[in-house]
Amino acid sequence: MHIRKYDFNYSRRMFMEKTLKGVAAAGVLTPLWPLVAEGADISKAYPDELMSIEMYTKGKIKPGDILTADNVDIVKDLLDPISYMQVKEMGRRIEIVDTVTDMETLFPPKFLEATLRNKGKAKIGPDGNIYADNGGPWIGGLPFTDPKSGEETIANITLSWGRHDYCQYAIRQWDIAPDGSEAYQYDFVWAELQATGRLDGTVFQDKKDLLRYQSVWFTAPNDISGSSFLSIWKYDQREFPELYGYLPAFKRVRQFPTNQRFEPLVPGVTWFLSDAWAAGDPMLTWGNYKIVERKPMLGAVSDTFHGSKKNWEPGTHGGPKGKTFWDTKMSLVPEVIVLEAEPTGYPRSPVGKKRVWIDVRNQMFIAYNTFDRRGDVWKSFEAGWSRYKDGNVVVKDANGNPDWSWTYIHSHDVQSNRMSRIHQTESCAGGYKSLLTAGDTDVYNKYLTTTAIQRLGT
Amino acid sequence: MHSVRFRIASWVLGHRRITAGVMIALTVLFALGIPNVKLQTIFSDLLPEGHPFAETFRDHPNFGNPLTMTVMIQRKDGDIYNTDTLQKVWKFTRDIDLAPGVDHDQVLSIATEKARYAEATPFGIDIKPLMEDHVPQSQEELDVFRERVESSPAVRNFLVSGDGSATLINATFIESRLDYGEAFNYVQDLVEAARDEHHDVYLAGQPALTGWVYQYEAQMIGIFAVTLTALILALVVYMQNIAGVLTPLIASAVCAIWGFGFAGWIRSPIEPLLMIVPLLLVARSFSHCVQFAERYYEVYAHVGDRVKAAQITTSVMMAPSILGIVTDAAGIFLIAMAPIPAMERFALFCGFWAMMLIPTGVILAPLLLSVLPPPKNIDRIIGKTGEGGVHVAIKRVLAGLARLTYGGPARVTTVVIVIVGALAAYSSSQIKIGNPVEGSNLLWEDSEFNTAVAAINRNFPGVNTLEIVLEAKDPKNPSRVARQADTIFTMQALQADIEEGEAPPRATLSFADYLMEGNRLYAGGNPKWLPIDTTQEMVSAAATAIMLGSSAKAFSHVVDFEQQNSTVSLWYKDNKQETVDAALASARKAVDGVGLDHDAFRVRLGTGTIALQQAMNDTVAAYEWRILAFLNIVILIVCSFAYRSVVAGLVLLVPVNLANVILVATMYTMGVGLDINSLMVAAIGVGVGIDYGIYLLSRVCEEFDAEKPDFGYAITAALTTTGKAILFTATIMLLGIAPWYFLSDLKFLADMGLLLVLTMLINMVTALVVVPLLVWLFKPKFVGRTDLLVGENVDLSKFTDTAHGAPEPASKATSYPSAADAGPTPATG
Repeated sequence: MHIRKYDFNYSRRMFMEKTLKGVAAAGVLTPLWPLVAEGADISKAYPDELMSIEMYTKGKIKPGDILTADNVDIVKDLLDPISYMQVKEMGRRIEIVDTVTDMETLFPPKFLEATLRNKGKAKIGPDGNIYADNGGPWIGGLPFTDPKSGEETIANITLSWGRHDYCQYAIRQWDIAPDGSEAYQYDFVWAELQATGRLDGTVFQDKKDLLRYQSVWFTAPNDISGSSFLSIWKYDQREFPELYGYLPAFKRVRQFPTNQRFEPLVPGVTWFLSDAWAAGDPMLTWGNYKIVERKPMLGAVSDTFHGSKKNWEPGTHGGPKGKTFWDTKMSLVPEVIVLEAEPTGYPRSPVGKKRVWIDVRNQMFIAYNTFDRRGDVWKSFEAGWSRYKDGNVVVKDANGNPDWSWTYIHSHDVQSNRMSRIHQTESCAGGYKSLLTAGDTDVYNKYLTTTAIQRLGT
Repeated sequence: MHSVRFRIASWVLGHRRITAGVMIALTVLFALGIPNVKLQTIFSDLLPEGHPFAETFRDHPNFGNPLTMTVMIQRKDGDIYNTDTLQKVWKFTRDIDLAPGVDHDQVLSIATEKARYAEATPFGIDIKPLMEDHVPQSQEELDVFRERVESSPAVRNFLVSGDGSATLINATFIESRLDYGEAFNYVQDLVEAARDEHHDVYLAGQPALTGWVYQYEAQMIGIFAVTLTALILALVVYMQNIAGVLTPLIASAVCAIWGFGFAGWIRSPIEPLLMIVPLLLVARSFSHCVQFAERYYEVYAHVGDRVKAAQITTSVMMAPSILGIVTDAAGIFLIAMAPIPAMERFALFCGFWAMMLIPTGVILAPLLLSVLPPPKNIDRIIGKTGEGGVHVAIKRVLAGLARLTYGGPARVTTVVIVIVGALAAYSSSQIKIGNPVEGSNLLWEDSEFNTAVAAINRNFPGVNTLEIVLEAKDPKNPSRVARQADTIFTMQALQADIEEGEAPPRATLSFADYLMEGNRLYAGGNPKWLPIDTTQEMVSAAATAIMLGSSAKAFSHVVDFEQQNSTVSLWYKDNKQETVDAALASARKAVDGVGLDHDAFRVRLGTGTIALQQAMNDTVAAYEWRILAFLNIVILIVCSFAYRSVVAGLVLLVPVNLANVILVATMYTMGVGLDINSLMVAAIGVGVGIDYGIYLLSRVCEEFDAEKPDFGYAITAALTTTGKAILFTATIMLLGIAPWYFLSDLKFLADMGLLLVLTMLINMVTALVVVPLLVWLFKPKFVGRTDLLVGENVDLSKFTDTAHGAPEPASKATSYPSAADAGPTPATG
């Protein structure tokens, strides 16, 4: 039996107070991270109504229920405006699951280890970049478990997108037209290799001035297969990444404008490079970071891995033809930071600001909206996350523990009503598989140089 | 035994509470539909259905940039390569991105990242924005910028003018988010703010045109108020009594409620560009009611009882009123024959409104008269106490006119009419179809919008395009038809044929051009690499090359979002008919050359302003005479039935058709071509114009005494009485319509106003002269009959025995109508 120790508005008042005072520690009743360090149940950090959707909604919604247009208004305050609209107007359904109380469900195991190992060692230097206590680049894990500012909050995502030293995602994407039909479908591979901020405590090839290498190569359909992009990120977050593209038919590498962050890579997709991970640009090319709110939220943070399904692909539903949304599950996230920022380093940006909802438990985004310069909401980039375990199907890390990664993306341009529905799959066209470790492969020379991307197209 | 009409009139006036209850209930019912009324210009609905060009447009509305606003910034004293001008372009580009409903992916100018140049690098090629992240400041930066522009062919042709003095900013809007009025107001404010002593700034594009039209439609409300006030004032001056003013006002208001309510109930948007016609209907309603009221006063003077007077008047006026209204409505309904959705909706709305003049004019009006106080000036109204000088003067003129139509002078008049008719017929046969205006013929040539279009046409390929669409047979073809080799090379073949033809356009553009440019850039930049290798692989590679790192929307003017349908755009210097004819001939030849049907696509000619203008012209040419012919048949049948004589129908049709021929001849003389306006005016003109003839012919019938046949007397009597009524009716309608010509900034409305005024005047003259002339020349037998549906004789003495307090009857037994000098006739207006 639950005993409500605090009145219903207690946590709301606490969040308001924390936001106003700039109090950084996650947790309402007690700071969260000491509990994590002790391996204790994190539910002690929050009152019951923040750990149970049933209590939060006074019994109107409970785990196992499906959010639909009929009941979504009960949790309207727990969804970003675009997700709410999708359920209310476009036939989206969301299954509600239990709130996660085990932090290991929310991290790759090694990343959580590094976070605990390096806790308190990060600081922001005079140039705005993040440095370890030895004055060098960051050394892995979350730099700021209890971020005190918007910059610290976004650094937690920017410095290691995939939270592994190397990730290789086999991705399938369907671009859905306003009439619900498929306009485009792409298979591609997205690879990230951390140069710094690595979990193994090293700096890749001693490239301290770089943050990461990242490449994308398309494997289907045929007319675009072999086209690839390589992005090389500087560690200095004031500098733009180098961006190269390669077209196999011409055997030419094309250099793209470094500040061209608000264009799709290929026709039909709705997301820009800037949208990736809700932190697609070097963090210091954006500015006016501001934590505007702390609150509970619904997020797809667990149970979204569909390893038992063919190629890990879940079903779809909603929209005019039942193909617009993935089947998804969300749970009550007890506390999110609502962060806003403006693209101050892009004088020609069509984006006015972005708003990111970040789960304070693992400092990962669960919702992201961009707004145009008029202030009208433009796009959503909603991600699902999960421990990679579905029944007997488990994707394990090097130590044999279930690993963790993103599973799906809904990138929805609500102004033109086009949806890019994206999933990390077991494999995609071309035979590439999703991997969360490089293993023994020389991934750098295979996928992450201008020579490598040329080779990918042959 | 009383006629059916008399029995209906008796019942209506004998059960006034029930009748009034029904009228009120109907009015409330229709009024409930009014909140659903939507005044809306749907531009695509102004295009004809079924025409291949218009259908191509409907199937591919994204080609021809229908959602793009184009702004031209032009330096008055030099070129654009200075910081001041480029700063203005930068600021405008950023500001237009803030416009409500704009598609942020589709804002293009030399200041956006989308305008790029390419240069070779050790790795391959580097493609960068023409302008850095800031406006060039130093001379060196300006020189570099100019060099980049000049080495970028697409920018050089389509974004910067040949003399370097002007540049374009294009912003495309998202249709579902676009509020035309709001977006236009926002951008127009930017345009006005950007103008200064060194710069002209122009705004064009379909959304801007729509914005202007909306703005002028707001102005229409003012004109509507002015004309309505003029009509009411005329009514007050003419009637000078409460019942005479209130009856037309209330009946017309009720009719308007029914008309708008009907449109609301059937959820049919009303086209504001045609709102002059409802005003015409208000004028018609006024006119009908005035005729009715005047006849009522005459009867009332005899019988001295309001209810009885109303009853008699109703029974007398019912048939001719219905006849007149039916011909009005027939003209309006038949406009729907032209397969133009806006016209079809409008014909239904206005035709219904016109038909509702029957219950409001024939039932409501007498009901109102029977309860409203009788006028104190009744003797003056019915002419008992004499008339003023103007009335006498008008009667003299009309008597003189009558003299021309019988006896000896009639021969001369006949010769004159035949000569005028022959000359008019010749002139009218010379008239051209279409009224090409540089820009939009909805607006005046010197309007800000059309001036902007002309300026852009002078400096850039412009806005007069013809689009040849390559339509995918399978819109979800997995091989994406627009990037298939056959499609690309068909585009090139079309362009080559047309460019080398007899009427080469100013510029051509297709997806193939972008592919060639992509091919050149990726092959190292040398122009010799422009041609694309003929293999499917290389065509597809070039398509991928140009789209890499770009939104598909950036090419939406030449290829659709899914790269299935595509277009070849041809720009012409103007939209004069000879240019249009030559362009279409050249395009047809080229299309024949490549063949209409291909494996994956079909070639469709076409869309764009040139093709759509031709589609309208073809429709006007096909339907103007068809509608008139049908209307003639309808009127012939209805009038032949009413007068029980086919000759009567023919006598009535001759003047209205003559009037139409003279109208067309007048238009030819004025240098105006036939267009959708003249199509509508012709139908309305004949429908309304026939009333004049019915007025007059009915009166002639009544004045004619078969025992002592004297056509001269009958014609003179008819002209001096009914002629005045016709003059009043014409005046009322001129008051309602003429101000539109002088006050409207919408040329479309003004033109329609002018044409309607002309047709009313010409119809009035032909009715007053030709109808009596034909009666005199042919002396038809029906004139002497007493059993006509129109023109009924009533023995008023039967109703005077119960009169009390009434004025002394003019005669004990009068052949009705005969008492009114000024008055109206059995037929109504």
